[in-house]
Amino acid sequence: MGAKLEKLPLNKKDKRGPSSKFGKFDVVLLVILLIYALAIIFPFYYLFIISITPQDIYAESPFLLWTPRITFDAYQSVFENSQIWNGLKITLILLFGGTAYQLFFTVITGYALSRNKWFGKNFVMNMIIVTMFFGGGLIPYYILIKSLGMTNTIAVMIIPGAIDTFNMLLMRNYFASLPKELEESARIDGANDIQIFAKIFLPLSLPMLATVGLFFAVGNWNSWYNGMLFNQDPSIRTLQQVLQSIIVKESSMIPSVNPGAINNESIKMAAIFFTIIPMMCFYPFLQRYFVKGIVVGAIKG
Amino acid sequence: MDGILIEKKQKKDKSLGKYIYRSRFLIMMIIPAIVYYILFCYVPMYGVLIAFTDFSSSEGIMGSVFNHWIGLKNFETIFNLQDFWRVFLNTIFIGTTKVIIAFVSAVTVALLINEIRLRFFKKAVQIIVTFPHFLSWVIVASLFILMFSDNGSINQIIRGMGGNTVGFLSEDHLFLGLIFGSDIWKEAGWGSIIYIATMAGISTDLYEAADIDGATRLQKIWHITLPGIKATAILLLIMSVGGVLSAGFEQIFNMSNDMVEEASEIIDTYIYNTTFVSHQFREGVTTALGLFKSLVGFVLVITTDRIAKACGERGII
Repeated sequence: MGAKLEKLPLNKKDKRGPSSKFGKFDVVLLVILLIYALAIIFPFYYLFIISITPQDIYAESPFLLWTPRITFDAYQSVFENSQIWNGLKITLILLFGGTAYQLFFTVITGYALSRNKWFGKNFVMNMIIVTMFFGGGLIPYYILIKSLGMTNTIAVMIIPGAIDTFNMLLMRNYFASLPKELEESARIDGANDIQIFAKIFLPLSLPMLATVGLFFAVGNWNSWYNGMLFNQDPSIRTLQQVLQSIIVKESSMIPSVNPGAINNESIKMAAIFFTIIPMMCFYPFLQRYFVKGIVVGAIKG
Repeated sequence: MDGILIEKKQKKDKSLGKYIYRSRFLIMMIIPAIVYYILFCYVPMYGVLIAFTDFSSSEGIMGSVFNHWIGLKNFETIFNLQDFWRVFLNTIFIGTTKVIIAFVSAVTVALLINEIRLRFFKKAVQIIVTFPHFLSWVIVASLFILMFSDNGSINQIIRGMGGNTVGFLSEDHLFLGLIFGSDIWKEAGWGSIIYIATMAGISTDLYEAADIDGATRLQKIWHITLPGIKATAILLLIMSVGGVLSAGFEQIFNMSNDMVEEASEIIDTYIYNTTFVSHQFREGVTTALGLFKSLVGFVLVITTDRIAKACGERGII
């Protein structure tokens, strides 16, 4: 009787109950969130405006919400700068090469650790967990990389990132959540573990692969730390490193196309904007993948 | 008797062999991971032996251990250093404040977004506020430096309104404020995602029951939503405690300048600067510094985990 009662269709209301009209509380929330969102957007907007403002107008009143005259000279000098293009080239190598490499090793490790009972699994798992709590620190790492002969190479920005423990566990949890019967029936048909992985589990986990791949892609686009630490050669600087040298070091390494016509500030802004714009274009469409990753990872991990 | 034992042993060997044989493909898949973790995580861990030597790079780690072993002398050097204690306290202060701020801001943003009922608006706000997380600190630091420098937009506004130039990048306490502010700007939105997901998992029955009792929305937040995210919050807090001593190398490295170094230098930037920039210390000393940091971080995680468990919460270990 009780069970039947529970199954009766309930009165479907707004899940937050009867007070579903738009009240004062909602207005306050809306205003706070609007201010917050504007605080996030404003720096980007300001950046963009300065980057298209001619020098004379900027000199008069450097704080602008709109510019009466638009110039793309700053972008022109960014585009004509060989360092930026070279940085972009290196970053694209990392973006495609590095992401594929990291994805491959992270996913096969995640798959192996998601399977039940095999020789050595617990040992490997413990070995990995220890590294999450303890590390050797910067200097031993630096000495290792140096003795491997990886300084001043692009490889140093790719090879040491083969497996990311967080993303690996994300993949492992996802593989473990897929039905066990898939594996059993394939095994009856005579498939081995690698075949089961490649032909059954991999095609089923494309959304999760996309999530993890995107995390890696963003990491590679933003890569500068290993490059800064290990590479002195300016010809293999990433885009972020070039940006760092332009802005943080405050040097005017970019010769302007038409000296005097553009202020240094707008070139800096244009260079930053150039680096952000690809992410800005893709992010709104990809956001759900990132969100899924962190949610799955945290709830099951 | 012996025969039975031998037979048993043989059977066991055979089944172990079979077990390994059955696992062979998975073992093949895990070999790269074993190589990777040994090479890039365990070899550096073995490298901490450098901390007990007067390291000489020509002789390598083993050579230094045998020929230049000096015990705890490097640690003595560190602990006798005025600079070390300043940097250590900076690290503790910046790291702890960041953990607290990150936690409070993420939960606040999550509550705000969770309470919004306009679905489109909710989605748009989420996309906007999570975006900065995906920018590198190089970019975020550049943005903040350009906006808060003496000639940046913020100072232009202040001067426009008749005030004096404010040295956001040159006065210690203002600069620390900027460090915390930029951290919130970059990470609060992203940090809120996990709490929003947890809030979505709270049973709607609880809210309905509260409605029947005539609870206001603030009461519902206080008595239902917040207790609902308690377990997640504690888990995330324990995990972030281990990072207190890291305090954000990438951020401070990119934002800091000579004028505010006193107040903003943390262990990681100190190690970097004294090893690679000023060459003030030999590798042994800075390795000891790194080891000290790792150990304290490790102890912090274990302690927090124990405390959480003692309070009846689920720990992580």
